[in-house]
Amino acid sequence: MRKKNLKFLFALYEDFDRARDAVAELKILDLKETAVEDIELYSPIEHPEVEEILGEIHQPIQRFTFFGAITGAICAFLLVAAAAQSMFTVQPQGGKAVIPIPADLVITYEGTILFGVWITLLGFFVYSGIPRRLTRLYSRKVSEDQIGIEVQVTPEHADAVRSTLEKSGALEIREV
Amino acid sequence: MALKRMLENWSDFRKDDYYDDTPYMWGMAIDLNNCIGCGACVTACYAENNLPVVGKEHYSRGHAMHWMRIERYWDDPDGNTDVDIAGKPDIPFDGHHDNSNDPDAVTFPERGAHYIPMMCQQCNHAPCEPVCPVAATYHSPDGLNTQVYNRCVGSRYCGNNCPYKVRYFNFFNFWEDLPHPLEMQLNPDLSVRDKGVMEKCTFCVQRQRAAKDAAEDAGHPDYVEDGAVQTACQQGCPTQAIAFGNLRDPNSEVSKLWREHQVKLNHYEQEKDEDIRGYRVLEDLNIEPSVMYMDRVRDTEA
Amino acid sequence: MDKMKDIEWAKINKDVLGSLESPRMIFWVVLAVCSLLVAAGVAAEAYQYNEGLGVALMNRPHFWQLYISNFIFWIGMSHSGTLLSAVLLLTNADWRKPIYRFAEAMTLFSILTAAFFPVIHLGRVWNLYWVMPYPNERTIWPNFRSPLLWDASAIFTYATSSALFLYIGMIPDLAICRDNAKGWRKKLYSMLSLGWMGRAREWLAFRKTYVLMGCFLVPLAVSVHSIVASDFAMSIMPDWHITSFPPYFVAGALYSGCAAIITLFVMLRYIFKFEEYMTVDIMDKIAKLTFAIAMVWNFLNFSEYASIWYSNDMYEKEVLIQKLIGPYWPVVWGMLLCSTVAPFAMAFEKFRQNMWAMFVLSIIIQLGMWLERFQIVSPPLASNHEPWTWAVVWPGTVQMTITAASFGWFTMLFLIFCKVFPSVSMYEVKELVFHHRRVSARSEIEDLDKEKEEALRAQEGVA
Repeated sequence: MRKKNLKFLFALYEDFDRARDAVAELKILDLKETAVEDIELYSPIEHPEVEEILGEIHQPIQRFTFFGAITGAICAFLLVAAAAQSMFTVQPQGGKAVIPIPADLVITYEGTILFGVWITLLGFFVYSGIPRRLTRLYSRKVSEDQIGIEVQVTPEHADAVRSTLEKSGALEIREV
Repeated sequence: MALKRMLENWSDFRKDDYYDDTPYMWGMAIDLNNCIGCGACVTACYAENNLPVVGKEHYSRGHAMHWMRIERYWDDPDGNTDVDIAGKPDIPFDGHHDNSNDPDAVTFPERGAHYIPMMCQQCNHAPCEPVCPVAATYHSPDGLNTQVYNRCVGSRYCGNNCPYKVRYFNFFNFWEDLPHPLEMQLNPDLSVRDKGVMEKCTFCVQRQRAAKDAAEDAGHPDYVEDGAVQTACQQGCPTQAIAFGNLRDPNSEVSKLWREHQVKLNHYEQEKDEDIRGYRVLEDLNIEPSVMYMDRVRDTEA
Repeated sequence: MDKMKDIEWAKINKDVLGSLESPRMIFWVVLAVCSLLVAAGVAAEAYQYNEGLGVALMNRPHFWQLYISNFIFWIGMSHSGTLLSAVLLLTNADWRKPIYRFAEAMTLFSILTAAFFPVIHLGRVWNLYWVMPYPNERTIWPNFRSPLLWDASAIFTYATSSALFLYIGMIPDLAICRDNAKGWRKKLYSMLSLGWMGRAREWLAFRKTYVLMGCFLVPLAVSVHSIVASDFAMSIMPDWHITSFPPYFVAGALYSGCAAIITLFVMLRYIFKFEEYMTVDIMDKIAKLTFAIAMVWNFLNFSEYASIWYSNDMYEKEVLIQKLIGPYWPVVWGMLLCSTVAPFAMAFEKFRQNMWAMFVLSIIIQLGMWLERFQIVSPPLASNHEPWTWAVVWPGTVQMTITAASFGWFTMLFLIFCKVFPSVSMYEVKELVFHHRRVSARSEIEDLDKEKEEALRAQEGVA
């Protein structure tokens, strides 16, 4: 993904609105010169409207959930049904069937939820990109109250991007 | 493969009474007319099944281990002074004077005692079975409600769910209290039980086992003669109130008694003629006990 | 009313991170007392382990007693945390944000406390692993027909899911801690925060996952206490075999859980100086919710009594009569007093907004709910189907010590959690403040517009 010849710029903004303006400016710049490879926004809280700026981010986590839940239901039912009859001797109890559906449904229900939750979590890790190391540009200001914008640029455009970021009110700019 | 076997036998595993066609179904019949509440059956059971004698202190805390017990109920708990026994004057028992040597005195008023020998009823729809988390109790092909001591982890759910409360839990390592030469009198045919294990009446399963082995030696492996198995309580009963045998054998004594007293298996309400004494305790819970009692008849007008 | 004010985001970080460092003195006192209780409990359990369960003074017919009622109590307490958090998350209730973290921690730790009781309760603890389904050469499996196995599976699912729910919801906060901590804490938080940097895709995936998990946790939490109720409802005992037990248990669980949230709310607010976050406004809302749930529980309780009386079933009616006038009457009437009568105090606004009054009330309610669990387990055993075995047993020293230890254990875990992890969600409080700001900015603009219009109109009038 990361090409060696790319430069990273990291700018901090006071609030989300300014960061949004900065991204808009970058987009305009990008239209002219195709300078910007990728933009990433760092924020201390969730901004659901972020997709409007950065473009749609495709994260079908609910599919993990769906198939996880179905797998869980099947596994749990097979476990209890198979366990009941694979005893060293088949064990009828209390005049009830050896494989009792009502009792097995309870375990199936719990298995559905257990697998559903775990596999949703798997989906979370797949699409959020964590766990990972911190990038070198990461600033602890982001976890406090400022918004960060990370821009990947080709080296020849770095200065243009930098000045755009500064113009739109960046508090601090880091560069690697 | 477990899965293949499961799918092949699916209809078998889904039916309710799995052991419909086995050759044995052990059952009992107890005639309360004959029961005098002497407790010989209890004693016999203690001797046969290695039951620990827990002592006064534990008994008062409810830790007794009598698989068989005589329950005593009074018709008239406070005593009825109107009943005149053989014309003797009724002297109420005051707890201080011992009147037992006075030939003219009746020490106790007539209170109308009923005795019921109560042991595990070996229910065919036993409520204790399905609740065990580790499957330590299950139904055997002989119609017995078995308890696997080795598997028991002591959750005691079965004890709670038993409507007769005839399951006994080893609250302590009672066998350790047995003073030295007494361990010699333990029955070698079965084990002593450790602490933390549930136990209960087995219809003397060790005697059934021996009888089956004897039958096999005699050349008829799938048939045990009626009377070849006697439970300890049956053997010890001086008035022969207890009959025991195979309910699947139509000619056994116990089958005859069940027919005579019109108690049928798989019915939680029996259709009976009048003046029929047979009943099963707590039959209406639909738990299919294998023990039939014959009600005591009293001459209340004498 | 004391609404949450506009707080600077940096101050939120400072305040909450401060709670990890300097609590009031009482924190250490409580922690010491709790450790002593736990030590006493361990001693009692060791004694019981060596001697046999008889030392707990259970007997036949009282095969179950305080261990099981404590189990229900703690599982019940766990309900409000995750369930309320998930419901309020799915319904976008803002006031959830400052309180959900500790409520979820309460859930996790009360499950961890509850999980001890079935173990302590077992006759042969050393064979505990037989309850788990593991392949073995003897092909022996646990019995999945047993409600105890349903319990085990439900509680395993619930414990792992609510631990994950708590953890996932905490990741952004752990990142904040990581950025500010030093020493061993830095290492711990770096590991746990998984490199969270607050990137847009992280936030979006996070929100999606969080809501999806919330969707699972609501039906899960309801099922867990229904299944615990099945331990009783699936049995054949009079007054255990009751159809309305599952909803009754769930309502009771929510009720005692809400009371526990109130207790901890006041405690945390005092110990960690969270007055600005845990406002009177929020307390008012929790109190209203608790009052509503109390009424649901009361309804189910009395409808149970009424249906038993009306059915005229001889066994169940006997148990009911014995409950009300039999040997266990102090327990039953104590419960009715504490959990039925006392909550009516919450109908008054002045009462709801008084922190310490609510603290006392919440403890009374929890006492009532603890008694409720005892009267579910013991009186029906004391008057069962078989009158010959009727007996009254009160829990002895061993059981009471272990019960006290469970309270110590829970409080200890909870306090340690609050000391190590942020007990108020920083990022969500920031969101709350952010949205408040938005709303107030918008209304300011609207106000300006109005003034402008009025001025215009006035001008027109003059013209």
